[in-house]
Amino acid sequence: MATVVKDGLIAGRNGVVITHRPNSGGTGYRTYEIHQRERVGQSTEKIKPTDLISEAYLRDPYTPLEILRENYPCYRNWLTNSYWITRYNDVTSILADEANFETRPKTWHYGLEGFARDLRGELPLLETHARLLDDNVERIARRVVNEFAGRGEADLATEFAGRLPLELLVKLLDLPEADAGTFVERYWRMQRGTSWEPMAQQAGIAALHELVAYFKPLLAARRAHPGDDMISAVAGLELEAGPATAADLVVTLLEADHQTLHGALANLWFLLLTNADQFEAARSDIRLLKLAYLETLRHSAPILCAQRFARHEVERFGKLLPEGAQLICSAAAANRDPRIFKDPQTFIVDRKDMCQRESRGQYRADGLATGIALGLGPPSKHPAIPEDRPRSLYAITRDTAVTASRVLLESVSEIALQSGAQPHLSSLRLGEMHACWKLPVSFTKI
Amino acid sequence: MNSVASIVDALAEEQDGGLGAQKSFPLMPEGEAVDMGHAADGTPLLDPRIFDAPEFFRNPYPYYRIMRDHYPVFHDKLHNCYWVTRYDDITECYFDDEGFNTIPKGSSSGVLGNTQLELSGIEHRRRRNLYGQHLVGESLKLRIPAIERLAEEKIDSWDDATDSEWVSDSNGVRTVELGRMFANEFPIRVVCEVLGFPKEAQADFYYWYNSMMSGLGGSETHKQGLEARQHLEDYVEGLVEERRVTPTFLYDNDGNPLGKDIITKLCETRVDGDYLSTEEITSNIALVVGGGGETTRGAILNMWYLLLRHPDQFAAVSADESLWNKAFHETLRHSTPIGGQPRHTTFDIEMHGVTIPAGSLVNMVDFSANHDERIFADPETYNIFREDLYAGKLLRSGYRKDGKCSHMAFGVGPHLCPGAWISHQEAVVGSRILRRRLNNPRINVDKMPKDIDGKSLAPTGLVSVRELWLDYDLQ
Repeated sequence: MATVVKDGLIAGRNGVVITHRPNSGGTGYRTYEIHQRERVGQSTEKIKPTDLISEAYLRDPYTPLEILRENYPCYRNWLTNSYWITRYNDVTSILADEANFETRPKTWHYGLEGFARDLRGELPLLETHARLLDDNVERIARRVVNEFAGRGEADLATEFAGRLPLELLVKLLDLPEADAGTFVERYWRMQRGTSWEPMAQQAGIAALHELVAYFKPLLAARRAHPGDDMISAVAGLELEAGPATAADLVVTLLEADHQTLHGALANLWFLLLTNADQFEAARSDIRLLKLAYLETLRHSAPILCAQRFARHEVERFGKLLPEGAQLICSAAAANRDPRIFKDPQTFIVDRKDMCQRESRGQYRADGLATGIALGLGPPSKHPAIPEDRPRSLYAITRDTAVTASRVLLESVSEIALQSGAQPHLSSLRLGEMHACWKLPVSFTKI
Repeated sequence: MNSVASIVDALAEEQDGGLGAQKSFPLMPEGEAVDMGHAADGTPLLDPRIFDAPEFFRNPYPYYRIMRDHYPVFHDKLHNCYWVTRYDDITECYFDDEGFNTIPKGSSSGVLGNTQLELSGIEHRRRRNLYGQHLVGESLKLRIPAIERLAEEKIDSWDDATDSEWVSDSNGVRTVELGRMFANEFPIRVVCEVLGFPKEAQADFYYWYNSMMSGLGGSETHKQGLEARQHLEDYVEGLVEERRVTPTFLYDNDGNPLGKDIITKLCETRVDGDYLSTEEITSNIALVVGGGGETTRGAILNMWYLLLRHPDQFAAVSADESLWNKAFHETLRHSTPIGGQPRHTTFDIEMHGVTIPAGSLVNMVDFSANHDERIFADPETYNIFREDLYAGKLLRSGYRKDGKCSHMAFGVGPHLCPGAWISHQEAVVGSRILRRRLNNPRINVDKMPKDIDGKSLAPTGLVSVRELWLDYDLQ
């Protein structure tokens, strides 16, 4: 019973400050039972909660996810206090429902909410980003590919898919070449620090502050002498709450992420090299290469799931989800939902039951479902493509991946897996992207 | 190869390194924590995987100490919850039933059903009083003869069990496993008795009870738990229909009726003019069973284990039977069978600089409150004579009196355990009778689980003693 009121705050007896959040004017909390107990028929004996955090899950999440999707579409995981949503229509109904479910930013995972602004939505920034990517992707891709093309063999997962997005990022920020290595190391460390792992958290938060310190003089210099790069674009933004700071820039980088491009490129090439007939089709036609990329995001989504939190008590999927409930929306499970996609385990480049055009992140267009690709922000709310944003981040990322892959195809021939290679997908750590990390190939330079 | 490439290579090298969310931690000497790394400022780090590790279950206190000292509110992102570990914070939160509500989202509702564990406010008080009143004061005094008789019966039965696995006689010394031969069943029998279950149903009842308890975790035993719950419900449903027509009574040692049993009383109870539904009655019964069985069993075994490991204190309670009360409370402080309660934040709450969003699961760790050195001096030491522990009549409205603090094993505030009084009586009355009947009892060290050195006795940790092998002299 909070008793002492001071400065509008309510403090408990031992000084714990309790703040009331102005909410939707609800009646506070429920005093009646809102959960009915489970009956025998609702028991979940086909899966153990540990199956969802085991080491086997890191490599093959699809087997346990199929059990969930086909038996327990809204599964309460007691071990991690969350609900797993695994059917396509269910997952998309949550991802598109911002009124009931909130996304918590990565800064929340750091306990740094309100630390700085996320500028991803600023139009000048989006435009600069798209233009710089278009201008540079071909050149950077050639540079990256040429470094290994002469060798006749390479690891596409690291030397191509892993490296290209980082080289692009360094170019977009126009960082001095000498700083590239340090920057990339800090950047990756910051991205991985949002996990539950305490060493990674500590390292990540240190990296975040190192990056802020690093960008501070750089941002000031670009503000004085703007160039054609993302830092200058950030420096030039006219924001209501004052000019952008180095912290804003770092938080924007943190939230923006690059892992969809990295993971999609790695998984695309993994799937092409392990499905010979599909590879033949994809390389024959740039249109089909685009479709191969979309099918990759469906078949082997690099970001397996997204977290949402219930803004208030809401009844869904036959359960009453309490306020604050964590929902794990599994793209990996939804993208292989046989209710939506025929033969979902198979990688089919020219899939007729999947949307073949840019859907601006909506989950359906032309009456067909898209693969759910997470990590690219919320879907566009506009009913039609707005004039000031001709392409969505989805399209920009797709075009970047396709251009880079085309460059690779043009630079080498007879590309094939090295004999004895057994590439596979896996997450380095629970909750991180599910991608191919080793893809040794041999080829002939053209 | 430039350094961008080498950074990606280093990441790829981690592949198949096996950083899942399960990790085996080394078993440490009691009281010492595994080194999980340090932050730049020297703060020890806490890996949330420890909470699922065997090491934590046997040796939790050094980790709780890290939390109390460095993370009074620990955000566990792996388990999607917050841990609150200091005595003052926990008591504060238990009394703040507006900010920290009990909306079911958690541990017990799955198998036990809608119990007052997960109700709040008026609804909770009304429901709780329905049966809470049968477990205290004058009502409780009526139960004590039954408790005494059951204890004597259990001990008498040992003479007929000497060829079983759990009792053996040799050279005038009897070896007995106190769990199986006494503590496991004794509280359940008491519960059956006060609920008014017929004797012939008590074996089934014991099975249901065990299945329900193991089903709480939500793993592969979940279905077994739900089935047991269903069978219990089917059975109780019949019983309730009978009792609605024909009330049954409790009797004293001479066979005189003392009053109606609890099921009969629940059948006759009305809330707002409505009779209780069968579901409400069975849920309450399931909770009485869950609350009254496992916890009291743990308290009895832990108390005997700890006392026998401190012979001077055991000699003291042997000499002065009134000291069993102090021993009981110190046992519940030192090694409580119930480690804490979940709560959920009703709105955003800031504690110690951490903002807990509305609707978050917050675990109040009673284990840790009981070992908070801010409250109890030298908390790891078992000492029934300690000056700072309140061991008098349970304080309904508070937890501090005369500069002493009560332990948290029964919680505090609105959800204070309604079975606290009866469980106290079971443990103390049962132990007194045991002590009178057993001549020179001591732990049979050979048969007990050992600590990691292979010699000394294992610590109690988070789970109560499972087996307690005693030797005592036959007259």
